[in-house]
Amino acid sequence: MKRRSIVALSLVVVLVAAVMAATSSGATQKATASSITVWLQVDAQSGWPDLVAAANKQFQSDHPGVTVNVQYQTWGTHLQKFDTTLAGGGGPDVIEMGNTEMTKYMAAGAFAALNKSSFDNSSNWLKGLAASGAFGGKTYGVPYYAGSRVVTYRSDLYKAAGIKKLPATTAEYAADAKKLLAKNPKKGFSPVYIAGTDWYVAMGFVFDYGGGIAQQISGKWKGLLNSPKSIAGLTAYKNFYLATSRASKTTDETHPNPYDVYAQGQAASIVGPSWFTCCVGKQYTASTAQFVMPGHVKGQAMPGFLGGSDLAVPITSPNQALASDWIKDFTSTSGEKGLQAKGNIPNATNLLGSSVNERAAARSWFVPTAKHWVDVENGNILRNMLAQILTGKLSIQQAATSAGDNIASVLNQS
Amino acid sequence: MHETSSNAAAGTLLGTSRRRRRFWGRALQGAVPYGLILPVLVVIGVILGYPLYWLVKLSTQRYGLFELIRHQGVGVGLDNYSSVLHDGVFWRTLLRTVVFTAVNVTLTMVIGMLLALLLVRVSMFVRILLSSGLVLVWSMPVVVAVQVWYWMTNFENGVVNYVLSHLGIGDFYQHDWYATTFSQLSIVTLLIVWGALPFVVITLYAALAQVPPDLVEAAEVDGARGWRIFVDITLPILRPILLILTSLSIIWDFGVFTQPYLLIGQSKITSGNYLMSIYLFEEGYFKSDFGRGAAISILMLLMVAVLSVAYVRKMVRIGEAP
Repeated sequence: MKRRSIVALSLVVVLVAAVMAATSSGATQKATASSITVWLQVDAQSGWPDLVAAANKQFQSDHPGVTVNVQYQTWGTHLQKFDTTLAGGGGPDVIEMGNTEMTKYMAAGAFAALNKSSFDNSSNWLKGLAASGAFGGKTYGVPYYAGSRVVTYRSDLYKAAGIKKLPATTAEYAADAKKLLAKNPKKGFSPVYIAGTDWYVAMGFVFDYGGGIAQQISGKWKGLLNSPKSIAGLTAYKNFYLATSRASKTTDETHPNPYDVYAQGQAASIVGPSWFTCCVGKQYTASTAQFVMPGHVKGQAMPGFLGGSDLAVPITSPNQALASDWIKDFTSTSGEKGLQAKGNIPNATNLLGSSVNERAAARSWFVPTAKHWVDVENGNILRNMLAQILTGKLSIQQAATSAGDNIASVLNQS
Repeated sequence: MHETSSNAAAGTLLGTSRRRRRFWGRALQGAVPYGLILPVLVVIGVILGYPLYWLVKLSTQRYGLFELIRHQGVGVGLDNYSSVLHDGVFWRTLLRTVVFTAVNVTLTMVIGMLLALLLVRVSMFVRILLSSGLVLVWSMPVVVAVQVWYWMTNFENGVVNYVLSHLGIGDFYQHDWYATTFSQLSIVTLLIVWGALPFVVITLYAALAQVPPDLVEAAEVDGARGWRIFVDITLPILRPILLILTSLSIIWDFGVFTQPYLLIGQSKITSGNYLMSIYLFEEGYFKSDFGRGAAISILMLLMVAVLSVAYVRKMVRIGEAP
């Protein structure tokens, strides 16, 4: 179509416009705000819109006349949008950042420093999350919530397949999958639906076998994926995936959403954030339960990715005090308890309970804390490696070596 | 004598003033065309020139996230260009994009030509049906079209796999159309050619109406048949239009972004399946390296400019033709 002709040009123009607008900065914004803009991820929209509404209500009773404009973003594109607003203004006053995304932006000075003690439970914040929002001794990100990854499963199908005890090892889980498959012979049915390139699940296997992604040795990053332990983990992942999942080998964990596959009756279990229970479909809500993904050693959980989000105030926001107040309302003790009730891990140790999610968090892993880690994620290096391994395009050794080298070179950039 | 000389003097005086007036008149007349294109030049200057100036400036700066927040880049000369030109990914991407463009343009032009010829021969009813179909394709927004194609080629329950399986072509149940780079780009090619056909077909159909029927009749009397007539009569008459359409298609397909980016999907984009515009987007935006991104876009701009030379020359020649 004709519009294509303009795409390259418009990219150029957008890029330039972003820079041009930089010259006119945010000076045009009003000094006294009548509204603040909040960027949250869609997780909040599908999982806990009521908590957002409650925070807005609280905020508005403290600041009459100030409206809160919540805009929902997707993980894949929110950073480019944010970059554009950093240059051109008109950006959010509060932004939700993934804990793996914070470092790059804090290092560049993109956020305003916050007064840590003004937030509820700040002295008990989860260590991992608090660390992701701190830089040079200052607090730039307020922990919002954490989430480990658990198994969400259909207890009715498990019962029908004669599975009396939940699996204690990965091998048992795979054996159960076989039983489920025999009992549900329909095409495309996954006993354990895992998207092929879901690196959060795959790296769990790697860490379970004692491997890792990358390690910093005297200031220089070294890829670990081709170490024998990591290879053992990747091999275990490949075998487990091939035995249990009928998902596309090249797709990610949002195309389709695992809970949609589950809600269509095409999966007996899914691995992912514990809030997946939100969307398993009405007919399965009653029979849905969760357990901690078992590791390959009996009695040990599979290490889960400890994901989480922070809330930060961009340096370009003209309403930093208001923004900080909104964060305070959203991450209040009652707000965090609400998040906990939805299956998330609250942001402070004094609020922790003993849910499946919180137990799974006991054994967890995290990405290398490097400034350029987010470039590894965005460059899909791990996803590409998994697709190569599962489709058999490359051997595990070849794929892991090439990905490991690639990761090291990205992380070692200046 | 005296009188005549004074007359002559008056004459010369009159002559100079008349000549001067004629000079200014001519100058004014000569300036009119320039005056007329002045608004266009100003608009182009503002819309294209100014951003281009910034783009060039940006491409000579280190401009990352840190600089973005401060609105202040650091001059690095031609470092961005040399880093791009020394990047193996750039050259592999360029080669891939050239092949991709060649395939897309060839398919677009060949199928477009065939459909246009078909359009001339079919009955009125079929012609209306076919043209309406083409116009519907033409009017569909790219993003919507991508979504439709995405669902059609969906892994779990795409209609393409369903149809292919039921036609007995093979077991396409859960066939992954996005498993390899070749397969990904093939689907993108289908989408692009599908979207590009209406413009080409309708333009060529209009051009075919310009082929004088008596010329074809005369050739037929001389014993020429289908292919011969097409090669010796139709093609030469369509040549200028074909050249313009081909040049335009090359320019469009070389810089195509929306279809491959959205159809392949962000999580499957790697340096192994970049096209030029995606390379630009990933390097510039995802890595927040705006200076380098600007350098890539300048290089792309130069390449497209070279590709456009043929097109512009043709346009100029058509303008000169009687």
